[in-house]
Formats: sequence, structure tokens, C-alpha cells
Amino acid sequence: MTLLTQLLVNGLITGVIYSLLAVSFGTVYRSTRVFHIALGAIYTASAYGIYVGKNAGLAIGVFAGLGVAIALSLLIEWCIYRPFLKRGSSLGVVLIASLGAYILIENLIALLFGNEVKIIHTGIEPSISIGALILTRIQIIQFFIGILFLIGSLVAFKKSKFFKAAWAMGDEPLLLEVLGLPVFKLRELIFCFSAILCATASMLVAFDVGVDPHVGLSAILLGAVAVLVGGMDNILGWIFAAFLLAELQSLAIWWFSARWNDAISFALLIFVLLFRPTGLFTKEVRIEER
Amino acid sequence: MNYILHLLIMIGIYLILAYSLNLVLGFGGLLSLCHAAFYGIGAYTYTLISMHFHLPFVLCIAASVLITGFLAFLVGIPGLKFRGDPFVLVTLGFQVIIFSILYNWVSLTKGPYGIAGIPRPEIFGLKIDSLFSYLGLVWISFLIIGIFFYFIYNSPFGLALKALREDERAAESLGKSAYHYFLYAFAISGAIAAIAGTLYATYVTYIDPTSFTVDESIFQIAILLVGGSGNLLGPAVGTVFMVLLPEALRFLGIPDSIAPNVRQMIYGLILIVLMYFRPQGIVGEFKVR
Amino acid sequence: MKKEELKLKRVSKCFKGFWAVQDVTARFLPQKITGLIGPNGAGKTTIFHIITGELAPDEGDVIYNGHSIKGLAPWQISRLGIGRMFQDVRVFPKLSVMENVIVALQKPEEETPFYALTHWHKNKNKDALRWLEFVELAEQCHKKAEDLSYGQQKLLALARLLARGFDLLLLDEPVAGISIPMVEKILRLLRELTEKWNKTIIIIEHNMGAILDATDWVYFMNEGRIYFSGRPDHVLGAKEVKELYLGLVKEKR
Repeated sequence: MTLLTQLLVNGLITGVIYSLLAVSFGTVYRSTRVFHIALGAIYTASAYGIYVGKNAGLAIGVFAGLGVAIALSLLIEWCIYRPFLKRGSSLGVVLIASLGAYILIENLIALLFGNEVKIIHTGIEPSISIGALILTRIQIIQFFIGILFLIGSLVAFKKSKFFKAAWAMGDEPLLLEVLGLPVFKLRELIFCFSAILCATASMLVAFDVGVDPHVGLSAILLGAVAVLVGGMDNILGWIFAAFLLAELQSLAIWWFSARWNDAISFALLIFVLLFRPTGLFTKEVRIEER
Repeated sequence: MNYILHLLIMIGIYLILAYSLNLVLGFGGLLSLCHAAFYGIGAYTYTLISMHFHLPFVLCIAASVLITGFLAFLVGIPGLKFRGDPFVLVTLGFQVIIFSILYNWVSLTKGPYGIAGIPRPEIFGLKIDSLFSYLGLVWISFLIIGIFFYFIYNSPFGLALKALREDERAAESLGKSAYHYFLYAFAISGAIAAIAGTLYATYVTYIDPTSFTVDESIFQIAILLVGGSGNLLGPAVGTVFMVLLPEALRFLGIPDSIAPNVRQMIYGLILIVLMYFRPQGIVGEFKVR
Repeated sequence: MKKEELKLKRVSKCFKGFWAVQDVTARFLPQKITGLIGPNGAGKTTIFHIITGELAPDEGDVIYNGHSIKGLAPWQISRLGIGRMFQDVRVFPKLSVMENVIVALQKPEEETPFYALTHWHKNKNKDALRWLEFVELAEQCHKKAEDLSYGQQKLLALARLLARGFDLLLLDEPVAGISIPMVEKILRLLRELTEKWNKTIIIIEHNMGAILDATDWVYFMNEGRIYFSGRPDHVLGAKEVKELYLGLVKEKR
């Protein structure tokens, strides 16, 4: 029983990380309609940022990680997404371009750093015991920092007029231009926001288990699954789905083994979408919008 | 010389994969990321049946085709209720799930250890052992499959698929059921991919799950995006280009240690540039939506 | 001779608290042209969606030839003989003009992989050209449908419907955005379809001249309900219709 409890508690912490990824992916998807596969490259790059930067101190490392993420994110928006937007390309085309960008950056990183796992933090992690539960220091850090960012995100989208405008952009992108709102600036805001959340998740995980060039795609896909399971219109839905995913994976570990984690995530996606095609928490869509 | 034969054999196998995927992507307009899974199921099904039951080659490949086609049909039943981004993610999901099964169900598939010692085929007493005879097998198979798809592409079924691809609501208002027609296409494409899987398995005589990953699915999609889809010429152009590209890179003298990464980087770059300047590919008819 | 009568019985459709269609009962008589008019958002296109199966009614029933067709999928309703022209036309853009009609000529039995492998390719070009000549698009037959003008695309959509041989045609603004001579040609065509070819037609239109000229019966809808029905001159002359609708819309001639 204690193993199960331990796994479920671990799931809560993993859930926080997945939530960050979900909100990171989802806000871009919702605001710009772009299926931001390249976010996976940003995930990987920021982990390498802290890997390199930590040699000058942990704080420098963190800033390096965040900086790399934001810089890369804006670069991708300026050099790839914006030209496609101006061209009027369809979303499927942009998805493929995003995939291309991911592959390009992933392999550039592999070229520069090699394919092996790089460890950020060496040494045994101190841990505390609460009854029969064991929590490592990094887990506690992950949890609290993650929650902080999640709350921050929810507040941002509830209170800030910029975030609300960016959110609305996903519904009626043309309308915003007509109203004189700065579409490009809003996009940049969202891409920076998404990069920060993604980098946070990435660095928190990398600090725990290290990083290799190929971790980005699975991480981002987790976020994408959570967004689609939760439904496009509701950040809380994404967070709920992320936790659901994490706990399901914990249960799977308890029932079988960790090897089936990827399959579990997608099985959940397919299962939910079959019964609620637009996600768990959405509103009906008019035929004309199909 | 042997190396050229090897390349020609791989081109033949990939042509079969490209033409089958073309039915779903080029004609159906559906970006499916699980074609490598059917390629893999075909390879494993043939191998397991052949090595457990010792039946003749033609029977084993037929069984593989039927079983894989049926599994593709089963995947399509839930899968084809989706379109757009959810469809991409769902097919990706099936790819990951099937890979997981191939990798983790060790008692059936031997998992990451793979299955070695797959015997070369013997057809009507003729043992296909040399590279030359293998080339003949692959290209005769492709010829038959090519003719098969020529008929399918140019049939009322093919045109109906294109209509559904162009405007599903309008096509349905003309009596065409998207779900059923796409299901046919999906099952056929899976079944034909099994032939490629079989030919691959008996050629390399060893299979393991790492040949049938998400990356492989992406590569097969890239073939159609680069060459073009929705017609007869696109898949051929794409296959030749993508299979020969690594060879061209070799001539540039890139050291072996970084060659795979450089190759992938070039793929990534090609995808971006192509989607910007020529989303229908080199000679294709269909642009991804 | 088959009598295709379409009946709507107390049909209602609700979208999250908003009733797009409320308690609509109507009869669309065979071999007649019935008009459906009303301001934007009155529910006219929603009625079309319900008839063609794209939307299921929350209440009420849709009856065609004596059988309820509620709940059938659009492709099934199409195969019963009910065809539709969309408000935004919807030709198949990358297919040629010829292919657009051919695809409508194809029968369901022919559209299977099995048929593809067991039958020699039969060229339907001649049949397609007949219909294209009918709508005077024969010269454009090799052009891609997306290269046609808006009016030409409408004619192509019409040719598709005719080629398919539907008995009941639902036309959503068939003459909007078209030059006057073309409008007159299409209206003449519609009349011919009912009188000579025994088709039944329902049209949604904002063009009151077209309604007056071409329809035998008119339903006026507003806010999801049928407010008024009768002969076209009757309906268009009614005080309520004038106040609710025509006062807002300039009369087109």
C-alpha cells in the first residue's frame, strides 16, 4: 500500500511538471493555432542552457536556461512562424515546418554536445520522510516552483488584458487586427511566456535526471495530449488532464511497469477523444467552424 | 556494385511504402504518423508465422498482409473519427502504442533483442538468396503493387477519396461516406505496408523494434511531402530523393560520427524550406491542410 | 411517379440555451419550388442542416416520402435523393471542372476498391460534358475548379447536383452574387427542373425578385420560427413581413 501511496504522491509532482508543459504548449496552440512541435527543441535547449551555465554558478545556469529558451522561441517565431503567417499557409503546413525546426535543432544539439545523457546535478539528493513517504529535495522544489508558475499563469490569463487579448486571438485573429491590437506583439508575448514555462519544467526535470538531445519530443507530446484531453478552451482543463495523465502513469507503474508510460498517455488520449472529441471541458462547435 | 544493388533494393521497399501511404495522405488528405507501425507489424507477423509454422513464403506473406490489413482496419475504426491535429496526434498515439507492444512484449517479439536468422524466401522451389535475385523479387513486387495502385488511384474510388479530401462536407452531400471510404484506404495502405515489411525482414534477416519507430513514420511522411503526393509520380520522386540523399552526403566527406545528425538536420531544413516554397512537393498535387 | 414530399414536424434545435429553430412545421410540396426567407440568423440554413442530417433536431421529426429521416448521416440522406447547394458553394477546388461533375456521376457501387480492381476504367467524360454544356461551362472543363469565377462555381455546383439526379434540391442562395442575365438563366432552369424533370426545390434567398418570380410557396422565418407562409406575393405584401424584414432589406429587382 505504501508503494502505491508513494507512486501517487510522485504522480502529483510529475503532474505539476506535466501541467507546466501543457500550459506552455496549450497557450501557443490556443492563441496562434500553431501546433508548436518545435517547443520540444526549446525544452531540450534550455536544459542544455543550464548544463553549460551552471559551471559559472547555479543562478547563472538558470538564467542561461531561461535565456536560451526565450531567445530560441522568438527566433522560431520570427524566422518560421511569422513568414508562414504572412504567406497565409495552412495550419498543417506550419505543423510540418515546426516538426522540421524541431528535427533541425534537436540534431544541432546532438552535434554540439553528443548523444549521451548529461547530468546537471551530481551527488545524492537529500530527502525528507513523511511517515512512510520519501520525498527528495528536488521533488519538493519541483512541486513548489511549478505550482507557483501555474498559479501565476492562471492569474495572468484572468487579470491581464494582454493575456486575455492573446487568448481571444485564437478565436478571431482577423478581428484583432481590425481593432488595432498588435497581433505580432501579442504573439511574441505568448511565445516568451510559453518558453519560460517550458524552460522551467525542463530545468526542473534536468536537474533531477539529466538531459539528452532526444527528450524534447516526448515531453512536448505529453503537453499536447493533456491539452487535447482537457479541451481547447480551458487552462484548468489542461492542468486537470496533466494530473490525470501523471496519476495514470503512476498506477500503470504499480500495475505493470514503467515501460508502458508512453503508450498509456496516448491510450488515454484516444479513449477520451472517442467519447468527447473536443476534450473533457469544452463547448459545442458550430458546423460552419468545422 | 553490391552497394548499388542494396540501394536499389531499399528504394524498391520504400516505393511500396510510399505508394501505400500515398493513398491515405495524397488521396485521403490524412496526415497519418503510424505507417511505420504497419510496416513493423507486417515484418513481425511474417517473421513469426514463417519461423513458427514453417509455411511457404507466399502463404506467410499473404497471412501477414491480411492480418496487418485487419489491424489497420481496427486502428482506423476509432482513428478515422478524427481530422486535423487530433488525427495526427491519434495516429502518433497508435504508432507509439504499437511500438511499445513490439518492444515490451518480449515473450512474443523478443523485444529489443529482435529476431535474427530470418530465412531468405523460397518461391516455388526457387531460393532467393543472392542480391540480384532479391532485387528481382523486390522490383517485381513493386511492379505488381504499382499496377494495383494505378488502378486504385484512377478509379471512381480514388476520385471519391480526392473529393473527400478537397471538401468533406460537399462530398458527403453527394453521397460519399468519409468514414467508410477512408477506412478502406487506411486498411489497404496498412496491408500493402506489410508487404514492404516482409521484404525488409527477409532481406536483412534480422528485425527489431527500432526500425519501426516514430522517426521512421516521420521519414515516410517526409518522402511524400518532398516528392509530392496525390498522384503517381510524387511518391517515386520522393523515395528516390530521400533514400539517395544520405549517399549524396557521404560523397561530401562528412565524418561518419556526425553524419546521422547532419543528415537529420538537412531533413529538418528541407521540410521547413519546402513547406514555405513548395508545400505540394516536387511533383505533387496535394498540399497539406 | 414518385411523390417526394418533405415534411418538418415541430422541429426544434437548441445551441446552449439559444433556440436556433423553434417548433417549425412545414410542408414542401413535390414538383414545386418553395422559398425560405427571413433575416440573417432566422434559422433558415439551420433548417437545411437538419434536413440534410448535418444537425440532429432536438425535438420534432423530419419526414421524407413517408419515412422519418431524422438521425441519418448526411451521406445516407444524400443517397435517398436529397441534394444541397451550399451558401459558400464548395466545389472541389483542386479537381478539374470535369472531375467535379464526374465525381457526382459516380454511383456508390462503383466507389469501392473491389470495383476498381475488377472493372475496366469507364470514361465518364461524355456524360459529364452533357451537364457542363447544360450550364454553359463546357469550355472550362479542364480548368481547376478553384480557377473559376464565383458565378461559374455556382453553376458548377448546380451541374453537380443535376448530374447526381437528386429528386429534392436544397439551394442556399443560388443566385446571390451573380450577374442579372445569369440569375434569369438559373431561375428559368429551376422552373424547368420542376415542370419538366419533376424535381422538388427549396430555396433560401434574400433576392426578393427571385422569390417573386420563381417560387410557388414561401415560408417567412424569424428568430427560429415560421411567422408567415403563403404564395409569394401574399407573403411579401404582408404587413408583418414588411416590418420585420423588408423594411431592413432594400428590395432587389
